[in-house]
Amino acid sequence: MRAFLGKRALASLISLLGLIILVFFLSRLTGDPTSLYLPLDASLEARENFREINGLNDPLLVQFGRYMADLAVLDFGDSIRRSEPALDVVLRAFVWTLQLAAITMTLVTVAAIVIGSLAAFHVGGLFDRIATFFSLIGASAPDFWIAIVAIVTISLNVAFIPTSGTGTVWHWILPVGVLFIRPFGLILQVVRSSMITTLGAAYVKTARAKGVKNKSVIFVHALRNALLPVITVIGDQAAALLNGAVVVETIFGFPGVGKLMIDSILQRDFTVVLAAIFVTAIAIFVMNLIIDILYAVLDPRIRY
Amino acid sequence: MSQIDSAITTANPIYKPPPAWRTTLGMLWRDKFAFAAACILLVVIFCAIFGPMLFEDVATRQNLRGRNAPPFDLSRGWLFILGGDQLGRPLLARIIVASQNTMAVAAGAVACSLLIGTGLGLIAGYTTKTASQVIMRLADVIMSFPSLLLAVIVLYVLEPSVGNLVIVLAITRIPIYLRTSRAEVLEVRERMFVQAAQVMGASTKRIVARHILPVVAPTLITIATLDFAFVMLAESSLSFLGIGIQPPEITWGLMVSQGRPYLTSAWWLSFWPGLAIILTTLSLNLLSGWMRTALDPSQRWRLEVNKEKAKND
Amino acid sequence: MTHKFTTLAAALLASTCATAAFAQDSNVTVVLAEELDLVDPCMTSRSNIGRVLQQNVSETVTELVPGTGIQPRLATAWEDRGDGTWRFTLREGVTFHDGSTFDAEDVAHSIARIKTDAIVCEIGAKFFGGMELTTEVVDATTIDITTDPAQPILPLLMSTVTVVPSETTMDAFLDTPIGTGPYTFDEYNVGQNITLSAYDGYWGETPAVTSATYVFRSDSAVRAAMVETGEADIAPSIALQDAVSEDMDFSYPNSETVYLRIDNGTAPLDDVRVRKAMNHAIDREAFVGTILADGTLLATGMTPPSTIGYNAELEPYSYDPDMARQLLEEAAADGVDTEAEITLVGRLNNFGNVLETMEAVTQMLQDVGLNVNLEMYEVAEWEGLYSKPFAEDRGPMMVQAMHDNASGDPVFSMFFKYASDGLQSGVTDPKLDQMIADATAATDDEREQLWSDAFAYIHEEIVADVLLFHMVGFTRVNERLDFAPSIKTNSELQLSQIKFAE
Repeated sequence: MRAFLGKRALASLISLLGLIILVFFLSRLTGDPTSLYLPLDASLEARENFREINGLNDPLLVQFGRYMADLAVLDFGDSIRRSEPALDVVLRAFVWTLQLAAITMTLVTVAAIVIGSLAAFHVGGLFDRIATFFSLIGASAPDFWIAIVAIVTISLNVAFIPTSGTGTVWHWILPVGVLFIRPFGLILQVVRSSMITTLGAAYVKTARAKGVKNKSVIFVHALRNALLPVITVIGDQAAALLNGAVVVETIFGFPGVGKLMIDSILQRDFTVVLAAIFVTAIAIFVMNLIIDILYAVLDPRIRY
Repeated sequence: MSQIDSAITTANPIYKPPPAWRTTLGMLWRDKFAFAAACILLVVIFCAIFGPMLFEDVATRQNLRGRNAPPFDLSRGWLFILGGDQLGRPLLARIIVASQNTMAVAAGAVACSLLIGTGLGLIAGYTTKTASQVIMRLADVIMSFPSLLLAVIVLYVLEPSVGNLVIVLAITRIPIYLRTSRAEVLEVRERMFVQAAQVMGASTKRIVARHILPVVAPTLITIATLDFAFVMLAESSLSFLGIGIQPPEITWGLMVSQGRPYLTSAWWLSFWPGLAIILTTLSLNLLSGWMRTALDPSQRWRLEVNKEKAKND
Repeated sequence: MTHKFTTLAAALLASTCATAAFAQDSNVTVVLAEELDLVDPCMTSRSNIGRVLQQNVSETVTELVPGTGIQPRLATAWEDRGDGTWRFTLREGVTFHDGSTFDAEDVAHSIARIKTDAIVCEIGAKFFGGMELTTEVVDATTIDITTDPAQPILPLLMSTVTVVPSETTMDAFLDTPIGTGPYTFDEYNVGQNITLSAYDGYWGETPAVTSATYVFRSDSAVRAAMVETGEADIAPSIALQDAVSEDMDFSYPNSETVYLRIDNGTAPLDDVRVRKAMNHAIDREAFVGTILADGTLLATGMTPPSTIGYNAELEPYSYDPDMARQLLEEAAADGVDTEAEITLVGRLNNFGNVLETMEAVTQMLQDVGLNVNLEMYEVAEWEGLYSKPFAEDRGPMMVQAMHDNASGDPVFSMFFKYASDGLQSGVTDPKLDQMIADATAATDDEREQLWSDAFAYIHEEIVADVLLFHMVGFTRVNERLDFAPSIKTNSELQLSQIKFAE
């Protein structure tokens, strides 16, 4: 196990480095930020001065060298937009995102597994039909619809649920509720599909044939095997949330990393983009590692 | 229909099995939801192929003074049954015309990511540790590369065309198929029948194709059908940010995002294209659910034999 | 992390009895569309920053009041001493939020700071580019400011200069601005809110609003809903389609002008008949009350009617597609390639309904036979196409832009948009250059007349561009407030002017 973790850490470090290099050079393809930070009427001298101050005048390789040298001591540089350390900007937002992702994914996982496997137990039954129908709608409806409709119906009528913002626990209800819907629909479908396969598999049939009458025993055994693809998809959805829930953050004024990333990309605030990717990438790598370990836990035959 | 029914139920020794397509249709008819889904998809495909030819002109004719015409009002003609958009163009015609680009982007992106992702996943699950490690770390990189940044880069350097959108969206969706198929392979390859095949000397290619792929496929297909919606909506948010398809080209995603500011004042602008996305996804999913039942020998009975027996099981 | 979770847990407990944080009686909550990147007083000419800081936290030397012109603020009087020198007499008894006394040194330092090279201050870059500024402190309440070249409108320019204490650093942006205004800058919770509260030592009248909270929501429907639920009191700039309440929603001209800049240097756009045809092709009236708000004015000049020299005699080009086609035929007969593909560049999210507006404009131009191709860009790319240097192989191009001039004088617009050396100018016309230079140097009635002539020349003779609309903005105001937005609300929102309804 220790050897596995060591190797994995090394490999991840290399990926992280590759990611940073990739993003550093690719993001520069999107143009010079100078004009975005100066008024339209700014003179050519003012523009030149801005480039000089922000180190945009040097050859790209020199900029890269400087960046890597700073990175070696975990200095991510300053945000052009905010003129404060980029890592501070990112961590402040990431804390919010992490909470939002954790709360949402916990709720989604529990709800989707329970409802999905119940649906799979009676394929084509009423419960299955209803669960399938609504989860599919949830998984394919535009999220801003749900968000705006929730605001104008719920918060305009229920006094203690605010439209948006942060501050009290009530502020979390709508964002979490809206974020819940799509991963819930998707994961429920995967649980259901995977359970159908497993319940139809030979060993479950054998168990039934042998006369294991207790439905719950079959249920638990099947679930254990069905979970393999499910946790993969949970991982994918969690990664999407860690990268930021842009629509929800935008509409609800939630200070997470998704909107920060979009704004930074559109504003060509490269240091923040890189720092944000660095932080979210570490989170995603760790999560993927946990998932891989979970595979082995769920199915001892899997070795690495 | 009754013909088939009787053909199946009467145990006639000189009975010849009906042609395969009739059996399939019969099974489809038996599942009313799947049947409706198939019909909807046929309509969508028809629109995607012929829509632009038929309605291109009507769909782009603007009328500022008749903007946001409410739905279910036939006084402007049947094309306005779903209402008019923010420039007074008939929404129905626009949805029909937009289906072509929408389907091209969604089907293209989903198919590419499904094929590439699954292929890499099978390799990662069934080869040496080093190759597997490289592929998986690559997936990590793609997973942590913000899709929006990728979109901005590709579409900044290149044109925001259908082809480039497919590339961007396909790349960002590869990891999910890759990780899912690889996880399944890891498990399936340890199963008895695969081990047995191996002992009997079957080639790796054969084991993957005959034994592993069929087990992995249902989950992948479920994800792929739902990804259809995901890709259409992702395309919508790219349009919203100005790096997706731009007018005068139209997609459902673009219509949804253009209708967004009107959600509280003229809901129909984004509702109908959104509904089109939902219906298409729903149909795809129901049909794929039906297909797996129909194709899976151990499940097929649900659609073939009479209902009484199915209930008693 | 742990800290945040503790806060969350605490919030969980606290909020079981408390409801959402609704505004207190004399606190005002303002919901803005975008968050502030910086809070430095030398950046207040950016409207999102100015709306929070200007005249609330940081006061300017003079103040431009809509309808009445330049008024005293931190300066009480000024006179032109000739040779480009103006003497400003400053207010006595004014203190900064840190307790120090305001004097001429502070003004001198503030002017030096907006022109420093170590940071790029927007006020300096926007209003004081291309001129030398020297200050001489005469005594504590008197300062001489000299400009080279001479600026006849220096008092107006000084209405943009926010004053900071003379100890303020020159090398970095501030994160807690200190000014002389009626409110102190208390806290900025990045991503969440900014809070201001009344400054006891303020020299002027004590305002009715004792504190203010600024929050940020980018979705217009949400901003409107927040005022409706009482979570916010003022939502500046909500979208046309969200302004549905007669009691809460105010419309006002917001000093923005939308136009299509034409690159006069490339064929076929170098032919005046083609440009005229474009003007006649667009049914401007059709936009008003449909895609754009009622009250939107058809533009005949780059600056809104509130600016001096606005030429009220000019008529917008009539919607006359036949005339447009005829003009194009004439041009084609003279060998002008009227079939050439013309790129129309639009800017995404520039104003509400910009995409619809541009789609409609494109269709109208196509209807008279012009081969126009619309391309919408996000701001970074758009800016590259709008400002010089232009690309060599650009081909015939028009760029949609929205220009804001709330200053009351066309000087801030005309050079940049029309002079041969102007960064966004599509025109090269020596006669116009001279007209702009003359008007810039003139004063009073003569200045007004010269600007008026320049507007007529641009609109009637060279038909430099396609002027479209003077825009209207909407602000939603909670009924508990007694406050009416004005043309300045776009760039400034003075809390001290807000009263509470009886």
